[in-house]
Amino acid sequence: MPVFRWGHSWDAFHDFEREVDRLLSSVNFAFQGIRLGRQYPSVNLYELPEEYLLTAELPGTKAEDIEVTLANGLLQLKGRRTEPDGVPEERYRRQERFRGEWERRLSIPERVREEGLSAEFVDGILKVHLPKGEQSQPRRIRVSEGSESSIMPSADG
Amino acid sequence: MAEPENTPVELEQANASAPAQEPEEPRFLFTPPIDIYETADGLVLHADLPGVSIKTLELQVQDNKLTLFGRVNPVVPPQARPLHQEYAVGDFLRSFILSDEVDYERITATMTNGVLKVVLPKAAQTKLRRIEVNPEPSAG
Repeated sequence: MPVFRWGHSWDAFHDFEREVDRLLSSVNFAFQGIRLGRQYPSVNLYELPEEYLLTAELPGTKAEDIEVTLANGLLQLKGRRTEPDGVPEERYRRQERFRGEWERRLSIPERVREEGLSAEFVDGILKVHLPKGEQSQPRRIRVSEGSESSIMPSADG
Repeated sequence: MAEPENTPVELEQANASAPAQEPEEPRFLFTPPIDIYETADGLVLHADLPGVSIKTLELQVQDNKLTLFGRVNPVVPPQARPLHQEYAVGDFLRSFILSDEVDYERITATMTNGVLKVVLPKAAQTKLRRIEVNPEPSAG
């Protein structure tokens, strides 16, 4: 857990990612999955006044096969996608869709009210609501004048 | 993967029939991944269309072309500020050329959890019909 963090972690490459997205938006990728060999599933994170909202595309997954857990600032999404038909491989003429088990871990923004977490699954899209907690007030740290020895810890303490 | 020549359902040029994007409101248009497998009665096609519901799906057969178009309505409120984006939200389009083997009249489709399933039954085998060859009655 980072002790000292300016802003929050999601903002670090925000401008850079936005710029890349802007550049890539002119390119029509036939298959998104191929794009950058990304982990499954791809997720988006949005900020709203009251909450953070995480979305993931999980078509063909049953709601009961999705497991969402949150612990120590780490959101874990886990699940599997099976083909119920039990069709033997040789019967397939095309096989482009993802199948199998998947797992993703994401560090979530600070100040999320963990007990207020909720998730919904509609039309193959998972939405995880991460309500914002109390905004901590900026705390003023008094800078006192002191001798050099009190700032630099000396060997004898 | 089967060669397109042997496949009754055949891919078209992915974006050849894509409608031109409107400049004022650019929308992504994706080619959804599909599975096709054979059954005793025909073919079954699955397409991943996350965010598409029965209401926003258009599935049509014209001549021998099956076209699926799924519109994806945004799931996040417009005031949401994206912080991290790994996928773009857009609509889905893909079309297929059906072979004569498919009985167009009996195509059925269902939509579950963002997956479209299209059942393409084989046309009933036409019965062999014997044509009697009669000797031409001799004139007389």
